[in-house]
Amino acid sequence: MVATATEQSVNTGGRVGIVDCDVHPSPANMDEIREYLPMPWRDRFGGGGRGFFGNPVHGSRLDSVPPGGGPAGSDPDFLRTQLIEEFGTAYAVLLPRAFCNVHPDPDMGTAIAAAYNDWVADKWLSKHNADGVFKGSITVNHHDPHAAAREIERWAGHPHFVQVMTDSGARAPFGQRQYYPIYEACERNNLRFAVHPGTDGMGINVQPSPGYPTHYIEWHTCLSLNFQSHLVSILTEGVFERFPGLGITLTEGGVSWLPALMWRLDAEWKALRSEVPWMTKAPSAYLRDHVRLSSQPLENPDDSKQLLQVFEMMDAEHILMFASDYPHWDFDSPTHAFPKLPDALRKRIFSTNAREWYGLPAENDIP
Amino acid sequence: MARHVVGKVSEVHPGERRIVEAEGRSIGVFNIDGAFFAMRNSCPHQAAPLCLGAIKGMTMPSKPGEYIWARDGEILRCPWHGWEFDIKTGRSIFNPHRMRVKSYDVTVEQHLVDAEEDESVETFPVSVEDGWIVLHV
Repeated sequence: MVATATEQSVNTGGRVGIVDCDVHPSPANMDEIREYLPMPWRDRFGGGGRGFFGNPVHGSRLDSVPPGGGPAGSDPDFLRTQLIEEFGTAYAVLLPRAFCNVHPDPDMGTAIAAAYNDWVADKWLSKHNADGVFKGSITVNHHDPHAAAREIERWAGHPHFVQVMTDSGARAPFGQRQYYPIYEACERNNLRFAVHPGTDGMGINVQPSPGYPTHYIEWHTCLSLNFQSHLVSILTEGVFERFPGLGITLTEGGVSWLPALMWRLDAEWKALRSEVPWMTKAPSAYLRDHVRLSSQPLENPDDSKQLLQVFEMMDAEHILMFASDYPHWDFDSPTHAFPKLPDALRKRIFSTNAREWYGLPAENDIP
Repeated sequence: MARHVVGKVSEVHPGERRIVEAEGRSIGVFNIDGAFFAMRNSCPHQAAPLCLGAIKGMTMPSKPGEYIWARDGEILRCPWHGWEFDIKTGRSIFNPHRMRVKSYDVTVEQHLVDAEEDESVETFPVSVEDGWIVLHV
């Protein structure tokens, strides 16, 4: 059972407002990262992202470029104006995009992850975080799990890092045992493990489709395939039996696929349980204790009551957490992305679920 | 219907836009090859500031594998999610009948009618060679 804040923690003076579980800070330039990279990596680091499958229209909201210049998401003050203040955000969980998992050299990937962590800790979680609105994610290179575990230990006890994060692009599904040093470190330090898209089919990582799709629209739509594979792997390999304190945050992996996948997996388990005897209950029964999904990009059928039905099917009341993905192009507005929700459900999705998941202080009302 | 003076024709060149406040609404006024069009500066999808988007052409309907680029300067792409709108009509490209943004009439006038009712107008000299862009909201 994952420890969560309880009802008793209401009225403990937490910041009032919503919790945004996927916000992307960006360095103003790559020298901001190089500053934290030791040699020889400082000379070899060129920055850059996934290389291809760039959005053919634009990658970030055009209005998110800071007035003083620099990439979207690079100016903490402007991000506060455009996101935090605009929507009454109490806490924003930051996920930098280091793309450290594309590299064939595990030492380089690990060094880049560490540099991004130093940068986030200094710039976003310290210098521009007097009010504590920014919560961080420790970037790790999952291709070297032992090094990733050491990186997690380096930040143990930091007041603002609330989770560990890595890219969904991988060479093997995340339930497999080579990754367990990472999960052990997460569990030991009471940090969630977040998976975010980004290096799928890039660098040394497998593309989760039969070969490479042609277009960005295909690649981007099918990012959720990797999340489904990782989740099935994590559940059936018994990761939550081995690490009962581990919690996995599936970020930006889609939402509405979950009920159908769980129906199928539960049905398979009834017949094939003997193959995975360490599973002590139906796969879907692990979700509430161990798995959360962030909402963006929220699928939105023409008939919004169908989405509400999906929410009921997937236990959104307990496992769905709002995310905007600011400043990226498919930003979900806190005020427009969702259909009208019952007040209690809205409060859980936009605030309570994330506060409990990350151990953030509770509050009474969302504005 | 209220009249709102946007500015002089010479101030908004072809391919450019000006965003104004009129009747409590933010509205974008666009010059396409000397003709003016206006639409609400709020995307019907998630209320993004639509008129800050890129002014582009579009790939026309075509056979698979064929690309026909046309209508340069007539298509506005939302600055958030990239939805395409026809600047001349306010209608979306993907579903012009059901997804559209409010559009407004714009006229170019050499002499401002009822100028005495609008104090702000009196500060602008009227000239014959450079008309006024008037938005009808």
